[in-house]
Amino acid sequence: MSARRAGGPAWIPPLVLAAAIVAVWTVTAALADSAVYPGPGQALESLRADIGDTRFMGSVADTARVLLLSYAAAIGVGAITGMLLGLSAFWSRAALPVVYALNSVPKIVLYPIFLLFLGIGDLSRGSFAFVSGVLPMFLIMVEATAGVSRLHLKMSASLGMSRWSLLRRIVVPSVLPSLASGMRLCFGLTLIGLLLAEMFSGSSGLGYELLRNLSLARVENIIGQVILIGVLALVPTLALQQLELRIRNRYEVTA
Amino acid sequence: MKARSSVVPSYVRPTPRRVAGLPSPAWTVVLVAGLVVAIELYARSGAVSRLDLIPVSEMVSRSVELLGDRDFVVGALLRSVLLICASFTASAVAGVAVAYVMARSRWVHRAVKPYVNVFYALPIFALYPVMVVMFGTGVVPIILLATLFSVVIVISNALVGFESAPPIVTKLALSLEMSRSQQLRKILLPSALPDILAGLKLGLAYAIIAVLATEFILATTGLGQVVNRAYNNFNTVDMYAGIVFVSVFALLANLALGAALNAFDWRRR
Repeated sequence: MSARRAGGPAWIPPLVLAAAIVAVWTVTAALADSAVYPGPGQALESLRADIGDTRFMGSVADTARVLLLSYAAAIGVGAITGMLLGLSAFWSRAALPVVYALNSVPKIVLYPIFLLFLGIGDLSRGSFAFVSGVLPMFLIMVEATAGVSRLHLKMSASLGMSRWSLLRRIVVPSVLPSLASGMRLCFGLTLIGLLLAEMFSGSSGLGYELLRNLSLARVENIIGQVILIGVLALVPTLALQQLELRIRNRYEVTA
Repeated sequence: MKARSSVVPSYVRPTPRRVAGLPSPAWTVVLVAGLVVAIELYARSGAVSRLDLIPVSEMVSRSVELLGDRDFVVGALLRSVLLICASFTASAVAGVAVAYVMARSRWVHRAVKPYVNVFYALPIFALYPVMVVMFGTGVVPIILLATLFSVVIVISNALVGFESAPPIVTKLALSLEMSRSQQLRKILLPSALPDILAGLKLGLAYAIIAVLATEFILATTGLGQVVNRAYNNFNTVDMYAGIVFVSVFALLANLALGAALNAFDWRRR
């Protein structure tokens, strides 16, 4: 590996950078000695206190539950509808401009509509998170399906394969790498959608906790929770990255 | 009719030029028009309360009215546009600069790349409350967050561009003993330009999303706040007008920047 040549294993520089940032944070916080700028120690301290609190843990569990449901729905719906549309070049060309346009609109301003029709609660924020995740997933899958090798399609036609076995034996294996990277991207987007929705209006959830602490001006709690959210987001992302790597090695058609 | 009796399945047949006599762009229009008409009829049918949904025609006419409202134009629209421009410019300059440093220094590349890779998995908007406590509800936290949110996509695209410079050209630069700034101006920037432009387009979309989202959640004024306030005051007409306005605004801004940047893109000439 050429990465080894320039001294030390690959994980040292990112770690050094992270340590430098934490050090700068600690020193500036100690120098500023301000109530609105706590150091890492205080933040972790209040995070520990929060984790001991059952109400806060209830919020974390709420967010995790809604996130899981909307993420699964976004992946499933986006992947299947995307594959079906991607098979038809004509209808992709007709429908895609609309979906791309929808996707470029800042979706958060649409959130009040969800609230009006679904009410405040799990249903509205879950649906909003779903919409934030499903559009990119759909677009990725349409593009991936449109890119399935024509040779493979012709072969399946000459073998007289049914639509179902075409999907199962040709299309799905060809789009798996894109599906995997879509799953990784879509996770972050669904989580952002959910947190924004919770920050705007919620009765529980991590986003709600953030804004509640904002009105209580408890910065150290907010920072502690931001750290927790970062960790909660990072673990599935790294797992999904690994999954993507494996799928790419196994299924990606090169040349 | 002839196509239907064919044994060749549709997915390997050549793409039809027209379906039911209409080419695909016409079907796009039909799709949008159908959606608009359906919402209009549903809203007018009386099956839904006027507090929940209003006809599209009213949304549009009210949002056109908003354009004549001085408070809206100066207080909300202009402010949001300025915030978007400021954060977009900041992230464009900073993003290309960081990507250049990453392309130059192996150490920086290895230190920063893992964070760039996972950045969009992190809900960066969670930092907004922190910034509000530190800097107040003014423009500073919005610009900071929007810049942070949009800079990373610029970095990752520009980095792809810088790294795609053909090795043979880099060698030529060495043999011509070009200085670093000459290499940057004559080789790296032009060869990375298409990727940088793609990054900038995304950067604008991200900056718009970040500014509107932060204004929507917590701000004193701005386009996002207009929608928020209308929702909280049960002013459904203004809320939908604001949503329509924001959507059209975002769409036009992205299209305009896309068209402007494509003019610089030598791959498209």
